[in-house]
Amino acid sequence: MLLLIAPAASVLIMFQIVPIVIGANASFRHWPLYDPSGEWLGLEHYVRVLTDPVFLGVVLPNTLLLMVSSVLISLILGLALAHLLNRDFLGQRIVQTVILLPLMIAPVIAATMMRWVFNDQFGIVSVVWEAMGFAPQAWLASRWPAFSIIVFTDVWIWTPWFTIILLAGLKSLPKEPYEAAAIDAATRWRMFTHLTLPMLRPVIAVCVVIRSIDAFRTFDQVWVISQGGPARQTEVFSVYAYVEAFHNLNFGRGSAAAIVGAIIIMVLGIVLYRLLDRYMDVSR
Amino acid sequence: MSTPAAALPHHEHRGSGFFDALAPGGKRVLFILALLATLFLFAFPAFWLILTSLRPAWGVFYVHRGTDFTLSNFSTVLEEEIVVRAFINSFVIATVATALSIVVTVTSGYMLSRFKGRVASTWFGTIYVFRTVPYISWVLPLYFVTQWLGIFDTYAGLLLPHIAVHICFFSWIMKGFFDSIDPSMEYAALIDGCTRWGAFIRVALPSAIPGIAALSILCWLYTWNEFLFALILTSHNTPMITVTMAQFVTELGTEWNLMSATAVMAMGPALIITIFGQKYVIRGLRV
Repeated sequence: MLLLIAPAASVLIMFQIVPIVIGANASFRHWPLYDPSGEWLGLEHYVRVLTDPVFLGVVLPNTLLLMVSSVLISLILGLALAHLLNRDFLGQRIVQTVILLPLMIAPVIAATMMRWVFNDQFGIVSVVWEAMGFAPQAWLASRWPAFSIIVFTDVWIWTPWFTIILLAGLKSLPKEPYEAAAIDAATRWRMFTHLTLPMLRPVIAVCVVIRSIDAFRTFDQVWVISQGGPARQTEVFSVYAYVEAFHNLNFGRGSAAAIVGAIIIMVLGIVLYRLLDRYMDVSR
Repeated sequence: MSTPAAALPHHEHRGSGFFDALAPGGKRVLFILALLATLFLFAFPAFWLILTSLRPAWGVFYVHRGTDFTLSNFSTVLEEEIVVRAFINSFVIATVATALSIVVTVTSGYMLSRFKGRVASTWFGTIYVFRTVPYISWVLPLYFVTQWLGIFDTYAGLLLPHIAVHICFFSWIMKGFFDSIDPSMEYAALIDGCTRWGAFIRVALPSAIPGIAALSILCWLYTWNEFLFALILTSHNTPMITVTMAQFVTELGTEWNLMSATAVMAMGPALIITIFGQKYVIRGLRV
């Protein structure tokens, strides 16, 4: 029995648990990347991170905003799309193929596409935008346009995931309640809010929790689209920790930021799960 | 059901919804429009990238105009030694990491599904907690761990962490596969003199193959697409395709035709898998 988990457990300990311990240790020490001397500093890195105006005023709000908006928009779009596709029609396979594509493409490539489509001189969006008579816009040169493109990319990548899982959920729902509701002359909207949503509750809850935890650590898209710029305005927590450790070469500070993030998302994950469970229970 | 019409007092409200107010033809048009909008939204960026990759260098700034197409971008990119090496490395690492991750997690998932007790519940709790730890929190120190072990910037230095990435999630999914398989066949095999190990290999494993196949395909693609670990744990000796591409984007930010050609080739596996392995992908995603 132990033999069955021995390989998995040893890799996990060696390459996840030990690194986390080392990172935790480094977060209390003076540890520049080029010189791991390791003088004990206590909580100084944590104090610096938690009083850094960039971390508090930009990075954390960005991370949470990206998480909330990406998950919420993809969930709503995914629900709508799942409803749209929950019937038999010609060309179903083509639609399914196209919808799967964003999910299969590397986030780095998706971000590259978006960078090109939103290129401020030659991107097709800029061409159409100017053809419509608007003033030229440098999409990635100011905070909110750049941040919106990051959110848009994340939504583009993850809506298909919600769609496919919710579509599978919709297909497995029993037919009888809908027949009964039809006899009672319920409108489609009422059927949706009073039957579909409550019956999909467990699926939605799991999707939202899993996606929120993953959206919190988003790195690839942000790094390729804006590198956290302009002027650190679109940095998220993973980018902040990476930049501290590998660009400012302050490994201790980077580790402290990474651990602060890990603690936040663990607490948030638990709270979210409880909240979702209770809120959706009431709506039933 | 023979419900009398009188028992349906709200019957006249039935047609009050927006969709019901439309003529049957209008509903159809609306449906088709929604479908087309969806197709456009999800296909356009990829389509545009492919189009750009086929344009000559001077045509790339006006992709929407002109009809000159060429394949020379692809050959130019493939003459770059680092790109070719990155493709080979990504392929090797994705393949080996998938094989190893599956082997390691299939036994762990089986254990979680069939055995009860302290060890099983501790293991389940461990993978559950470590699944939520953000990658950045352990990939930063992994930089030092791989250097101390002397495997930084080698295949092993990226393979082993990649297996670790998959352990938590895959053990959990594999447990689901085995949970859905009736254990009574294994008990029958045990009674007939099969060992516990034999019952797993010969009875349980074959029934889990479809699920494992689906998971393998997704695992391969995740590893091929992975960026953060490759960015931190590799350097010049083991370039990976996602990192090489991202460097193109940020460093040679103007040669969009070459960049698109690289990106199109890098998304080749995704295209092939989506078109030919769709059934498996969907099965894998639903678990």
